[in-house]
Formats: sequence, structure tokens, C-alpha cells
Amino acid sequence: MKDVYFPDIAVIDNIRNETGDVKTFTMRFKDPDIQENLTYRSGQFFEVSIFGIGEMPISITTSPSHKGFFELSVKNVGLVSGVLHGLPSGSEVGIRGPFGNGFPYEEVFGKDLLFVGGGIGLAPLRSLINNVLDNRDNFGRVIILYGSRTPGDLVFRDEFKAWEDQPDVSTLVTVDRGDEKWVGNVGVVTTLFPKAGIESKNAVAFVCGPPVMIPFVIKDLLKLGFKEDTIISTLERHMKCGAGKCGHCCIGHKYVCVDGPVFSYREMKAMME
Amino acid sequence: METVFISKLKPFLEEISKKSDLYIPVKKAEHWTFNRYNPDEIDEVEFNSIRTCLPVKEFSFPPRELAAAFPEPLEAKQIKPFAVFGLKECDLHSIEILDKVFYEGEFQDPFYIARREKMFIISGDCTQAGQSCFCNLFGGKGFADLGFDLNVSKIKDGFIITEGSQKGKRFIGDNPDLFADAPDTLLAQRDENRARVKKELEEKNADLKFTSKISEIIQGSQDSDVFDIEAQNCIECQACTRVCPTCHCFYLYDTKKPDYFAKMKMWDSCMRMAYAGVAGGANPRKVLGDRIKHRLLHKFVYFLERYGIDMCVGCGRCVDADAGGIDIREVLKKLDEEKKQKKTNQAEIAK
Repeated sequence: MKDVYFPDIAVIDNIRNETGDVKTFTMRFKDPDIQENLTYRSGQFFEVSIFGIGEMPISITTSPSHKGFFELSVKNVGLVSGVLHGLPSGSEVGIRGPFGNGFPYEEVFGKDLLFVGGGIGLAPLRSLINNVLDNRDNFGRVIILYGSRTPGDLVFRDEFKAWEDQPDVSTLVTVDRGDEKWVGNVGVVTTLFPKAGIESKNAVAFVCGPPVMIPFVIKDLLKLGFKEDTIISTLERHMKCGAGKCGHCCIGHKYVCVDGPVFSYREMKAMME
Repeated sequence: METVFISKLKPFLEEISKKSDLYIPVKKAEHWTFNRYNPDEIDEVEFNSIRTCLPVKEFSFPPRELAAAFPEPLEAKQIKPFAVFGLKECDLHSIEILDKVFYEGEFQDPFYIARREKMFIISGDCTQAGQSCFCNLFGGKGFADLGFDLNVSKIKDGFIITEGSQKGKRFIGDNPDLFADAPDTLLAQRDENRARVKKELEEKNADLKFTSKISEIIQGSQDSDVFDIEAQNCIECQACTRVCPTCHCFYLYDTKKPDYFAKMKMWDSCMRMAYAGVAGGANPRKVLGDRIKHRLLHKFVYFLERYGIDMCVGCGRCVDADAGGIDIREVLKKLDEEKKQKKTNQAEIAK
């Protein structure tokens, strides 16, 4: 029986600065067997411990199709993320999980996929996007819409080019406020909707971003003809134990850490009522 | 199930204490509490009339414990066998409920499991219905049929012991000198006592009758003012969740010890303001009334949905402990009354 509270050790092999306050950590489990046997779904998360400091839930940003390592993109917002940001390559952290339900994948074979990301919310979507593009034939058209506050807050900038080079993939990026060098779109992410040529008929939308963004995106998606169960998003709560026991992440009758964090808009509505 | 007779508790418990630590009920003011048994300190062990004031979850789910340590993992095997005497039917019911959370399903809690497996349970029949007892609402009757290793029933001149497990059976078999036969006349005395307490419970809670199921009452009263009105008396002491034998929310946190790092597990309370808060300051249950409502929804709606059982045993500990005077029985009555009123109003409008 696996002890639910005992973390496995992972080593930080590489650190990449995404923005001023977001870093992507490439890690692998110290025990090669654990790394080898790691399986997860896009949208699942790890509980990351800094020994003696604390633990935080972080979604896995690597596609499950990539083997031998995993990546976590972390924004420096609090105590634990702050200490993690200060660690050098070669440091060890504790990892429990993966936890949570993850995004539907096999369930959306054959569908057109629309990804709508905001800020660091692109991290869990990136896992799914890369898994989709690694198995390109299983899916229809792919549209990726991404927005952040400023050009300096855009994450995974290098990857957009690779995504767009794939057949039948379009990406559009926007920022709330441009700077002198920015020549792209300015405006919130929903301002990209009319430009993207979205067809909702055989499509599923995946939405991840700051809480303030989600309701506006959902409202516009419904207008475009998406159904309540073809809009998929994630909810954030303070997931502590990860096993549906400690109670911290309860929303209504759902434990976000085991029943979520991925929910359809239909499920979300039922939870909030 | 085999039954035997003893005239005094001490020799019986003395034998148990030779093999493991033993906890016994001790009366403090008007309440019962558990103490470690020390034969030199007492002449005879008292038989508690009702449940203790603190919950039995302390034995399997301590207020604070080490959940994990590094670099050297903890061994759940280190937990030594122990015995607890004086658990009541409601306590056994609460163990059944906590087992669903920590013992069953995909994620299991190794220390909870180790403690449960090392715990020798000696329950006892209630000899009265306590001031705040309302276990009969959840199928309680003052004595247990299941869930114990040995059960003790107090009769006029002694005690009837009933085996409830292989471990209990073995203990009786290993100690023939301690026990005498229990003739039918004594068993009849036991049954009389049981019937008397059951009746007492029913009479005491005769006015605690609802027109709908508790889950439906709570489910249907989400927009009720009752929660906010009750919140005016609540002083957020969190005693209700601490003394509740089924409340099991906990806080997991990391800490540094001189020569190792540790992950600690500590009781938490959904009545605490910051309980549901997330990084960035958002808090879905900032309002106290919403937290009281969430607690009742969890107990009677969400838990029932997930595990098929109410998360309340009707022990009334929260009623005794509540510094603000909130009485769960009265809250349920008010909500039921409101629901009834709503129905009548709707019926009249329909006419």
C-alpha cells in the first residue's frame, strides 16, 4: 500500500525563466523506476513539497507522451513558490501524486479542439495541446487562443511557432496592455474569438486562466453555440491532502482534488447552486 | 456470540492492561473522559453511564501527528497495541464512519489503519440516555450489536461480557479463571436494562420527529435565514468540530525538526474563517452562516451521497460543547418547520 502522505524525491535538472515571475522546472524522480512507471493525464497535478517549508498543488505541464522527465511551471506568488524559485538546478523536492481527474482525452477523439488560456493557465493546457499534437490524426482542427496582461507575461512563447507549424493548427495571442515593441493583438482573450473562425458544431473548448477570465470566456462560448458539457475548465481550491479526505478543497459535494480539478461547465453550474 | 459473567471490572481490565496500554473512562465533574489505566491509582474501574465528552476519534486520528518524515520514512509498525474500555454504541458507529474515509477506497491512511488494527475495543451498554443524546435518530438504541471485540453490559450484581470478534473470543478462551457462566436470568436482566434505556431515549426525543428525511430538510433549505440567525450566537470556538466524533477535516503542513523534515497532520475545522481560503485571498465561505450551512450539508447531504451513510451519530457532544448555545437538534427542527411552512404556503397559493 502506497503511503498517501509520503512524497517521492525529484531532482530539478533544468530551470527556464518564462517571464519575470514564472519559471519552468524540468524534473525527474530520483528513483529511475518511479520515473519509468510514471503515468498521468493532462490536467492532473502534483503536490510539490519543499522540505521543511510547505507543499503546494501544481499542474503538470508536460505531455504524458513525453517520457523520462516532467515539467512544472510555477508562478512566484507565495511562500512555497517563492522558495522554489530560489532553488538552483540539482536541488531536490518532494512530489506526491499525480492527483485529480485530468482532462478528457480519448473522449474527445475526432473533435475540433479550442484552447483558451490566460496567463499561467496555459500550463495545464500545454500538456494537453502537446499530447493532442503528438497524436495529431486523432483530432480535428485545433485553435489555440492565449492572452496575458503584458507581452512580458506570455509563457511558452517559443512553443507557439512549433504548434503552428503542425497541420490545421492556428494560434492567436493577445495582451491586455501592449508595449512599444508589441505589434500583435491588444485586448482580453475573448476579443480573439471573432478572428479565430471558431466552429462550435463538432468542437470541445478547454478553458484555463485566472478566475476573473473564466465567466467571460464561458459566456462568449455559449453565444458561439458551445454546449454546457463541451466547455471544459478547471477549478482552483487549496488542495492539501490530494486524496479527498482533508476537506480543504470542497466545493459543495465535490472534492476538487479527486473529482476535479477538471469540470465541465455543466458540472460547475451544478456545484455552485 | 458467547456471553460470560464477571462480578467486578478490575480483575478483567487488569488482565487486559498486562498485554497492552489500556484507556478507561473516569468521571470529571459531570462528564466522562478517558484516562490511561494505572492499577495503583484506583480500587475499582467505574462503568460510564453514557459516552465520554471527548470523541473516540482521538485514538485513531490524534489531534496532531506525524504523517511523514524524511529522509527516513516512518514505520506504521511502531504503533503498539492498545485497548479502550467504555466506548458506546455511538462511538462504534463513528468508527464505522471514519473507516469509510481513512480505511477504505483508493487512498488509505497508513497510520489510521495501523491504529485501528492495534485497537482492542471494549464497548459498554449505556445505562441511561444522556442530556443531549439523540442517537435514536440515526438508528441508535444504547447498546451495540457489532463493531467491538468485547462488550460489557452492567447488571445488578456484576457484568455480562459478550464476544464480538476473534480477538475477543481468544481473550475469553485464554482466561477461563476470570469468567463465570452467564445464566439466562442474568441475560434477562441485561435485556431489561437495554429495553429501559432504549425507551428512555425514545421518550426523551419524542418531539424530535421530522416530516422529511434530514438530507432533504438540509438540501431544501439552502436559502434559509436560519444559518445566519444561528451564526449570531456562534463565537467561532470550533468546539463543535473538535468534539464531533465524525468530523475529520485536517490540515497537512510541513515543518523542520533538528535532524529531519516532517509532514504533520492536525485537526482542522471548517468553522474557521481561513479554512477555505486560497492563495490570493479568495474565500468561498467568508460568511459564518455559510460555514454552518456547509458543515450540515457535508454531514447530512454530501457524505451520504459519497459513502451512503450520515456523518452524524447523534451523540450530542456538539450540543454540550457549544459555547454559543447552538443546538443541532433545534436547528434541524427549525429547518424542518420552515420546510413544512413553505409546503403549506405553496399549497395555499396553488388553491
